[in-house]
This record gives sequence, structure tokens and C-alpha cells, in this order.
Amino acid sequence: MRKTILAATCASAALAAVAFAQTRPSGPFTEQQAQNGHGAYVANCAACHGNDLKGAGEAPALAGTSFMGAWGDRSTVDLYNMVKASMPYGNGNSLDAATYRSIIAYVLSANGADAGTEAFTGSEAVKISAIADGKAPAAAPAPTQTAAKAPAAERPATAYPPGRFGLIVAGTVKDYRPVTDEMLAHPADGDWLMYRRNYQGWSHSPLKLVNTGNVKDLQLVWSWAMNDGGASEVTPIIHDGIMFLSNTANTVQALNAATGELIWENRIGPAPTRAYGATRSLALYGDKLFVPTTDAKLYALDAKTGRIVWQTQIEDGREGYSNTGGAIAVHGKVLVGLTYCNRYEEKHCFISAYDANTGKVAWRFRTVALKGEPGGDTWNGLPDEFRQGAETWIAGTYDPETNTTYWGTAQAKPWTRATRGTAGGADLYANATLALDPDTGKLKWYYSHAPGEALDLDEVFERVLIDHGAQKDVLTVGKVGVLWKLDRVTGKYKDSAQTVFQNVYTSIDPKTGIPTYRQDIQDAKVGEWVSSCPGPAGGHDWPATSYDPDSDLMLIPLHQSCVLMRGNPLEKKIGPAATNAGSQQLFEMPGTDGNLGRLAAYDTTTMKAAWSLQQKAPFLTGVLTTGGGVAFVGDFDRRFRAIETRTGKTLWKTRLTTSVQGHVVSYAVNGRQYIAVETGLGGGSPVAKPTTLLRDVHHPGNGNAIFVFALPEN
Amino acid sequence: MRGSLFFCVAWMAACGPALADDFATHLSPAPVTDGTRAATTGEGRAEARLDGDRLTVSGSFQGLASNAIAAELRSGNGIGVPGDKLFDITATPGRDGALSGAVTLSRAQLTQLRRGHIYVQVDSQSAPNGNLQGWLLPPHPFAGEDVPVEGHGFLPQLDVPQR
Repeated sequence: MRKTILAATCASAALAAVAFAQTRPSGPFTEQQAQNGHGAYVANCAACHGNDLKGAGEAPALAGTSFMGAWGDRSTVDLYNMVKASMPYGNGNSLDAATYRSIIAYVLSANGADAGTEAFTGSEAVKISAIADGKAPAAAPAPTQTAAKAPAAERPATAYPPGRFGLIVAGTVKDYRPVTDEMLAHPADGDWLMYRRNYQGWSHSPLKLVNTGNVKDLQLVWSWAMNDGGASEVTPIIHDGIMFLSNTANTVQALNAATGELIWENRIGPAPTRAYGATRSLALYGDKLFVPTTDAKLYALDAKTGRIVWQTQIEDGREGYSNTGGAIAVHGKVLVGLTYCNRYEEKHCFISAYDANTGKVAWRFRTVALKGEPGGDTWNGLPDEFRQGAETWIAGTYDPETNTTYWGTAQAKPWTRATRGTAGGADLYANATLALDPDTGKLKWYYSHAPGEALDLDEVFERVLIDHGAQKDVLTVGKVGVLWKLDRVTGKYKDSAQTVFQNVYTSIDPKTGIPTYRQDIQDAKVGEWVSSCPGPAGGHDWPATSYDPDSDLMLIPLHQSCVLMRGNPLEKKIGPAATNAGSQQLFEMPGTDGNLGRLAAYDTTTMKAAWSLQQKAPFLTGVLTTGGGVAFVGDFDRRFRAIETRTGKTLWKTRLTTSVQGHVVSYAVNGRQYIAVETGLGGGSPVAKPTTLLRDVHHPGNGNAIFVFALPEN
Repeated sequence: MRGSLFFCVAWMAACGPALADDFATHLSPAPVTDGTRAATTGEGRAEARLDGDRLTVSGSFQGLASNAIAAELRSGNGIGVPGDKLFDITATPGRDGALSGAVTLSRAQLTQLRRGHIYVQVDSQSAPNGNLQGWLLPPHPFAGEDVPVEGHGFLPQLDVPQR
């Protein structure tokens, strides 16, 4: 009987599908347009969305259930306008109109729409679900699976200049001193040896030659054009007057930090295939420079010559895995994270450590708890292959006293809990602080910041280690904009502060720190729009905080915008489908009067705000504080400025060639203090969301470069 | 913090009328994507004064991509949370224009206003379901670009955890 009912049901469904296919109207495009669109799609879109249109990384699926969930109730004109205005990513309106129209025809065709007799002109508004069902017909231009799985290096290079890879410029750093554990634990004032300068993640330079009285005299000393194409959010690494600089295409250079002269250059490759996912940092240890790459490999270069000493595969970059967060070296091991773990598959994200001398893997810590493991019951019973996300796309910090490394993790995927199917579970270890033993990878404790996360609001960012007397704290701030303070020995919640307006949580338990989500967020079903302030650009995002030990202030770059978010349906099946199935619409944050940028200083003892300022353009660099009482920060509108750390008063500013983006550092050579900052493109949500919202602030679409400032020599 | 929230809400319910008589908002484009933002342009300002249970609204807007066709007071279940229409108010037709209206609020609507849940929406021909919007909050002058203010400045926290 059951078989009979099942068979009847299947037959009915099949008949309904056939009936739909037979009765639906033709699409508003021609077969020729769809065929032309296939080529245009491969040339302009496939690098991010895949040749099979299944999406990857941050690029959504353009075919199938996920696409129909997002676009089925909207029109062909809506789709055309969206694609034309914003694609290729970061370069909207850069193709001719006929190409955009043909791409739309191809996408519709790939979702089962039949070609008609009239060409699509960009003005035919037809509801997409009326002409397409998400199933590609046999006659549609066939997606090429082989191309989709081809190594990234074989795909088109997105706006990356042609050229060979390898050691392009040979040279030798003279008198290189190997970096020791002692140097990393107590860095020389003039050095910047790791992502956040010290193990504690302060992004603070003790140098004080540049101070509140003379900063107005800063002048440009040298600049250096960097690779364009891809995404660039660099942190220069400086040791004994040598700057190690990561460019897009995993290109690494050694430069004289005082003069800007190139010593060696190794273009490791591959060329960037997408306009997001930057390599934020490198790491030095011993005589090697460690380069975690965008195709999820880890290279050890000879720091003196740039030659590759060893390389190892962290994960398979051809599947979409990447490493953007940089690395941290501890006790002869190189610790790295992993990102874009957002496909339904057997594998999961992890933090891993490698022997600095050999590249041999020392340990892995999987950031997703599976069934039967501690924490495995926090995923609402989901099969292991559907427990995804929990990426580590910001490098961890380290406390030598307790021998503990601290990492933040990203949210579970897909973004919305309704699509994910995890209800209010904590989805361990997503959106958590992890305290690990750096020698073994063993978990000491974890703290879940946002159990049941629902709105693409990461808590992955820097863990900043601060002592308040005998109290050993770890502070972090995530996209919701809540500044968290935990006991870094026990992982116990201590305090929190709201740094931007947020309407996501209605309360935070004063004892446990567990937030309660707004009721309609908890109740949201697949396909329902939910408001979120802040939106996916934060609050706080990758532009990092800085801690000034002299004032006990943490300076936090913040973003102010809101989003309507909708979780779209997604089939629970193994495959390359992107799991970021959600739609977003952006709007101004209430009470901000259109000011997307916010910079705020918080006393880390009292957790009270000392000062704050707002401006129309969002801040796109991490903050640098210095021993001279001066802090530096750059923004979307090409401005780079110095402010007084204690008051927020602007002391000096200049305007650079494009958006000032990356991480500001300070160093000294021969007694002279330098300030280095990058102009960069492709910064992900902190750039993409403002680009949609800001209508009268513009910057050039190229111009990755490094700019170095100092006081006059006399 | 949960206790603080309950205290805050109870306090506002009991003492609400004295909390604020004047409200203001910047009107900005309703939720947009890159594909819809060309039809959803413009900005404006609105002010509201509460006298007893009578709320008087005025304002102006400019730069719409098409003529205004309606304006409303609406309320959701939080600041920044869209919701249902409460009242029609008047928007002069045109791409630039004025807003005006006077409405009598119920006790529940007074609570919504004081919690920051009521917002102004302007509809236009090209964005008939919302072209501009802005939540009515206590007046909050902007100090200006580059100008720091002590503390966190204006940070709406009427319906969110209070420290």
C-alpha cells in the first residue's frame, strides 16, 4: 500500500512537472541570446559562480532550487537590473548591455526557461517562476563540469595582468636575523613581525617619535604600486628594516622599508579568480616567511631570497577552500585557519598547525562538532555533511603565559537558521571563541557568542588579550557590534558593551552572556524577510581594532547599515552548491543620518565608551595606535588620517588614490619612524554594502598600492 | 542585562509621556539592492511633536526618481524593523515635496512611538511599496564629520539591552 501511494505521488509529481513544462510560456529571450550568453557567462561570471552555476564562496547559486528560491518571485527585469548594476563583482556596468542581456538569457535557460521568438531587451518584466523551474532542460547550453572543477590557475584571471609566475626578481636580504620565539614574544619596537604586531593582537606600536605635536608634519616618503585584480587587505610585515608584502595572486615581495627598493619578488600564484578573499597577512619564524595562499596552500619561503623551501596543501583549493586570515607562528609551528567551508560535503573546516622546518602537519582541530562528539548535539540532529561553516578567516592570537592560542570562528552555513535547519542550537563551534593548546591543538575551552545565529553575523574577528591587574581577559567584537569580554583562563563571560545600534538581540544574560534573539528572528521561516541592524557588513568586520595600553582604550572601526535578510530554500544533498542561500536588501541604520562610518573608543576596564565619531564613508582599515598618543585609520573615501587616541580629534589627514583599505602598521629604520598603509580594492562586505548604499561617494576601481609616511628627516 | 531591559520597558510605559515630546528622522531609501536602487532614490527629513496623544508630523523630501504617491506612519516590532501601516499622512505629489499630518495615537501606539518603533514611509510611482523611510527617534544633531563626541554619542537603545 505504501509503495502504491509513493508510486502514485511520484507519478503525480512527474506529471505536474511535465504539465508545467508543457504549459509554461516561453521566456522573453531567443535561443541565440542564450547561446551567446553561455560564452559571456564563462568569460565573466563562472570564475565566482562556477561553470555549473552552483555558486561558491560568497557567490550565490545561479541555477537550481537556491536560485529559484531567491529569484522565483521576482521578474526578469529585476534580475537584469541587479546583474547589470553590480556584476562582475565590484565592476558593475562594465560590460555592454547586449552582453548583460545575453547572460540573463543564459541563466534563465539554465533554469529551464524555454527560448521564445523575441529577444530580451532588458525591459520585459516576466515573473521568473512563471517561465522557469530551476531544472536545466537537455537542450540548454550545457554547463561544463570539467571546467568548473579545473584548478583556479586554469580559469580566467579576473583583471589580473598577464605575466609569468615564480621568482620574478632574485635578490638577497643582507644580514637577515632569524626570528626567534623571544622576538615574537617581545618584539623590538621598530619591528612588526606578525599580523597584529604582538601575540596579544593589539595592533599597537610603542614607537613615539611621531606624536600629537608633530604628526601634522607627516609627509610621503615612498609608495609602491601593487598587483591589481582580486582582493587586497594587506598587513605589511617588517623585520630589521625589511618589509615583506603580500600582493594579490599570492605574490610576495621583500622591500627596503626605508626606501621602497625591491629586493626579491616571488609570484607564487595562481592569479585571482574572484574579487574577494584577500590574503591579509604573512608570518615570520626562524629564517622563513610563511605564506598561506588563496588556494589553501601554505608556503615557506626563504626570507632572505624568497625561494620556496617547502609547500603543503591545507585543503583542496579547487573545491573552493581558501586561506585569507594569515598565520601565527608559535613554538616552531605555523598555525593557520581555513575559509569557504560552505558546501554540503563530508569535509569540514579546521584550524591546523605545521612544523615550521618541514611543513609536516602537527595537528588539526575541526571547528565543527559531529554527531557523537562533545557538542555534537547542538546541530538539531543534522547529518554531519550538512554541518558547515565555522570558518577561521582571521588569524588567532597567543598568550605565552598560559600557552594558549585564541581563535574566533565564523557563523554556521547556510546563513539563516531556517534554511540551515538547526533551530536555536549553538551549532558548535560556530561563532565561538576557541582556546587551544598550540602544541597539541587540544581544546581548552570554548565560548559560544551567538547560539542559533540567523543573519550572517560573524563573531570570527580578532581576539585581543588584555591584562587588567591580575585579571586575564580576552576581548572581541563581532558583526552585531557587541564588544565581549571573557576570562581568557576559564572562558567565563565577564561583560559586554553595545558599540553600534543593534536590534538583533532583545537581551543579553548578565551572568552567562547568552543573547536572546528578537522573537520574529527566532520564528522566521524560509522565504520570510527579517530585519537586521547591523547587517552583514557589521558592526565590526575585518578592519581590526587597536588596543592602546597607555590609555586602556580599544579603538574600534564600525559600520552602520541594516539589512532585510531572507533565507532561501536549499536542497539537503551533497554537492558543490553554495550554502549561503540568502537574499539581502540594504537600508540606512536608524539614528545615523546616513553616516555609515563609526569609530569608537572603549575603556576596556569599564567597558564604557570614551568617545565616538561618525562620517558618511565607512572605515576600511584596521586602526593603529602608537606610543605617541596618535592613532591612524583610513576609509572608503580615500582619506587617511591621524587622530588623538584619547579624544578622537583629527590631527592630520591626507587623501590617497583609491579606498584606503588594509591594516596600518608602524616601524622604525635607523631611528626614523614610518607609518605604512595600503590603498586596496575588493574588501568584501565592508566595501560591497556601502557601494550599494552610498550614492555620492566614489573611488577608482583600481589602485592597490602601499604608501609610507614619515616626519621630515631634519 | 535582561532585568535592566524589563525595568527600562516598565519605566517607559509608566513615565513615557515625559520621555520625549519631539521626534525626528532622516528619510533615506527603503531597502534596496543594486538592481532596485535606481528606482529608489532621494532623501528628506521629518519631525514630529507629541502633544498629549496628538502627533503632528511635518517634513520634506527631494530627489525621488518618480513622483511621490503616498506617505504613511507605520510600525514594526523594533527600531529598524518594518511593519504595518498605522496612518496615512500627506505627501505633496512630485519628486520634491512636503510631508504633513496630524493623528491621534492610541495608548499602544504611544508606547510604540516612545520605543522608537514608528516610522515615516514615502511611496513613489517607481517604488510604490516604500521609497523613503525613517524611524522617529529623539532629535539627535550630528556633530559633523571628523568631530568626536564624548561617550557613544547618540545610539538608539530604547528597545535593546541597556547598560
